[in-house]
Amino acid sequence: MYPPKFDYYRANSIDEAFALMGQLGDAKLLAGGHSLIPALKLRLAAPSALIDIGRIGELKGISRNGSTATIGALTTHATVAAASDLPAALTEAAGWIGDPQVRNRGTVGGNIAHADPASDLPTVLTALGATMNMRGLNGARSVSADDFFIDLFMTALGEDEILTSVDVPVDGAGTAYAKLFNPASRYAIVGVAAKVSVSGGQCTSARVALGGLTPSAVRAPSVEAALVGKALTADNIAAAAAQVGGDLDDVMGDIHASEEYRRAMAPIYVQRAVSKAAERAG
Amino acid sequence: MMRAVGSTLSRVDVVDKVAGVAQYPGDIDLPGQLWMKVVFAGIPHAQINALNVDRARAAPGVVAVLTAADVPVNEYGLIIPDQPVLCGPGSTPTAAHVRWEADQIALVVAATKAQAEAAAQLIEVDYTPLPVITDPLAALAPDAPRIHANLPDNVLYSYRIRRGHMESAFAQADVIVESEYRTHAQEHAYLQPEAGLAFVRDDGRIEVIIAGQWMHEDRQQIAHALGLPEEQIVVRYPAIGGAFGGREDMSLQIVLALAAWKTGRPIKTIWSREESIVGHHKRHPFIFKAKWGATKAGKVVAAQMDVISDAGGYMYTSNKVLGNALVACLGPYDIPNVHVDARTVLTNNCPGGAFRGFGGPQGHFAAEMQMTKLAAALGMDPVELRLQNVLRDGALLPTQSVVPPGCTAAETLEEAARRGGWMQSADGRWQRAAHAPSIQSAAGPQASARQTSLDASRRRIATGVGIAVCYKNVGFSLGFPEHCYAKVELYGEAEIEKAVVSCLGADVGQGAHTAFLQIAADALNLPPERIELQVEHTDITGSSGSASASRLTFMAGHAIQGAAAGALQEWQHEERPARCEFVFHPRPTTMYDPETGVADPSVTYGYCAQYAEVAVDLDTGHVEVTRLVSVNDVGKAINPQLVEGQIEGAAAQAIGWTLLENFIQKDGRTLTPHLSNYLIPGVLDIADVIEPVILEIPDPQGPLGLRGMAEMPMIPTAPAIAAAIHNATGIWIDQLPIVPERMWTALQAQNGA
Repeated sequence: MYPPKFDYYRANSIDEAFALMGQLGDAKLLAGGHSLIPALKLRLAAPSALIDIGRIGELKGISRNGSTATIGALTTHATVAAASDLPAALTEAAGWIGDPQVRNRGTVGGNIAHADPASDLPTVLTALGATMNMRGLNGARSVSADDFFIDLFMTALGEDEILTSVDVPVDGAGTAYAKLFNPASRYAIVGVAAKVSVSGGQCTSARVALGGLTPSAVRAPSVEAALVGKALTADNIAAAAAQVGGDLDDVMGDIHASEEYRRAMAPIYVQRAVSKAAERAG
Repeated sequence: MMRAVGSTLSRVDVVDKVAGVAQYPGDIDLPGQLWMKVVFAGIPHAQINALNVDRARAAPGVVAVLTAADVPVNEYGLIIPDQPVLCGPGSTPTAAHVRWEADQIALVVAATKAQAEAAAQLIEVDYTPLPVITDPLAALAPDAPRIHANLPDNVLYSYRIRRGHMESAFAQADVIVESEYRTHAQEHAYLQPEAGLAFVRDDGRIEVIIAGQWMHEDRQQIAHALGLPEEQIVVRYPAIGGAFGGREDMSLQIVLALAAWKTGRPIKTIWSREESIVGHHKRHPFIFKAKWGATKAGKVVAAQMDVISDAGGYMYTSNKVLGNALVACLGPYDIPNVHVDARTVLTNNCPGGAFRGFGGPQGHFAAEMQMTKLAAALGMDPVELRLQNVLRDGALLPTQSVVPPGCTAAETLEEAARRGGWMQSADGRWQRAAHAPSIQSAAGPQASARQTSLDASRRRIATGVGIAVCYKNVGFSLGFPEHCYAKVELYGEAEIEKAVVSCLGADVGQGAHTAFLQIAADALNLPPERIELQVEHTDITGSSGSASASRLTFMAGHAIQGAAAGALQEWQHEERPARCEFVFHPRPTTMYDPETGVADPSVTYGYCAQYAEVAVDLDTGHVEVTRLVSVNDVGKAINPQLVEGQIEGAAAQAIGWTLLENFIQKDGRTLTPHLSNYLIPGVLDIADVIEPVILEIPDPQGPLGLRGMAEMPMIPTAPAIAAAIHNATGIWIDQLPIVPERMWTALQAQNGA
């Protein structure tokens, strides 16, 4: 299937992109194209124009400032997967996206702005407590991952805004990502990211997020509450994971997995992600 | 000189295919060609009241819009002509009836693809929707709507076997196992979707360039629908991107020829992957109700089977597949009392048709599950039980004819068992040490000895082993007038400088042409470089028959040897060039007796046994094949590397069918028309280890002793995996595919019990 016809524009700077967005009616921003082009082919979107921001150098690359890593929106999944100083949950999730072609072209910003419910990065960034940085004609603003992912393919990003970067805390906590995936696309049927800190043999903080189950990535507050203050033994992790059902409304079902199966897999993958994160927390 | 047969000669097409030079139908363009869009009904069951194509005809670039009224003889079908070329009014009384969502209703021919597709959107169809039948059991209900007016019960075809006395046989049995098995549709998923061209040649004949499996059958089908003599049609096969039975029936052959004939212009089209998946037949889904009995001593004394297959809306090869399943569902065993009732039933699902194994994988899933369950119920080793009942030379088939000589079901099974860790004790009985306790104690889930382990991420994994054996006919069966043409021409003066070998068997990727070359080289005592193959089109020689039924190397091997011998004789008589055209006829076969099934059904058989090791994730239901040993008796490996390729490819396709591939239709519509939702195995999904094992026990009927082998390794995989799953978990999975959710559901039921 071929995408519907569109006009193609290339922006060489963020300002040029804003100018084009103002000028063109229903344009869409094109980064790596690995979410947008399939959506066009499936006729899920039919913008009259695409503004290619893929060559804007200032949006690429990873920098570090103290305990915060800043990932430019146009950084590819392959670059993230190969990074040595990012949380393990993020690098392993990026390394499991699609296939090498997808990872070499697909971008972090494009992925999270698209906000596919089966996508990995929204789940991971929610668990890591990341912050999305965006710029509009009226200036820049930042939104936490908890508030950024609103619904199916819907984020806090305004129509006249560009996602510029993501801030990820790098604080020595143990993190991990585990997923049950579609073997063809590697999209998550159930994806779970966990971030735990351990002190004196006890869990001092926990963030657990799930994707693939609900229209957008969600935290699992019941699981988190059940972990904090406990030793991260296999039994305690299993008991906490069993709480996850209460954190999930509106679980989706489709030809790849029924709602019932997805619900049943949630605690299994919570257990797997938290166990691995706990090992990494030392 | 080195013998060509038995060597791993490089494939004749390998360089062109690897370099991307080989021309598949979609790669070919003709000057002045137009593009054809085939319009599907898009509705699974309906009457077409009217079809208005005026707006489409007036659209930019459109040269012609063809409908049912334009088809000279609007019917086709390999077995019976029950399918309209184009559905719609203005033709035969049955043609206005849509029975399948991919029934073709119009052909839009335009200057460009975009114009043809745009104009296709402008066709207006007035449908009266009819009730959609999606379940063959519902189709059998007395008040079910009729799919074809002449078949009031929706039963398209039926066969039966009556041998022995069931009541007394079951009375003799110490254990009886009853189960219902369900197997599912499978998409061929060849790399190259349907594509082709047609044009009217300078000599006034229509040439169709397409990828198929049997040029002369394509030619016959095209000629019939166009109302033309066969000589008026030329069919040419360029490179073929896989087939697996999926190109046995017509897809684009007739409509391309029709459009070229009506417009006088070259016509081209390429189906998208979606059009391919929606638009061609699938492996038949089957339902088996089985009741088998055995004595404590390990003799299977009775097998009763009720068999139903889902034919979809048209015959395709449903009766032939059913005919194979009729015996396959009893496995390669000598069972003295057998009753089978088999029916293939019409629905509005995608038609069932040819697919590697042709009823064999479905039938053997039921048969081999029954054998594994009987072994468990008797507390016998599953290999030992099989060997006590397996067909051996001199034994009677269920059709009460003697199995053709060279029956090696036991030899393949023994080799698979040895490689799977079985040993024969001093008293001759077969036993396997490691997993034997759980194989033997399958009275209930509690009795199973689970092999569980925990890995670092706390997965609970159970492992198990399983084994299965099969047989499959070689060549077309049941009285079909099997034959195969080949022609050899020898050029030179004192010595043979060049040989031209003609044989029209399709190389669908299996390497048939390379095998032809190797057989010809040895038959003529020439190096392969001095032989030129002519294999491309129907003018070259007579029919070599289909690239199916594991028949081609067997039949063409004989034909090429015959033509080579004849040409060498002419050469001795100083003929220059020396020529011989030879037709090979194998021994005749007979159709099933309608009451008893008595027949001599098949020319000969090929045998395969497989041993599988699996790991089952007890939390998620994921099943992984960690090792698959596939033992094939191929009689003589003409090219061992190509044989191994067939075994490994079949293993991938069979593991995919068993664990992953899930063709889903709802209300007669395909929900999985993409390779992103119809999942075929990638390299990581197949098996950690596949061990292809070649046995070479000659078939007395085979040229050089060879046996057909391409389908057999597709057949025992599913029951071997299901046996291994039972060994691991104590759960019998009687329905395919064993996707994680089905396995998980069964594990939940076990835990809840």
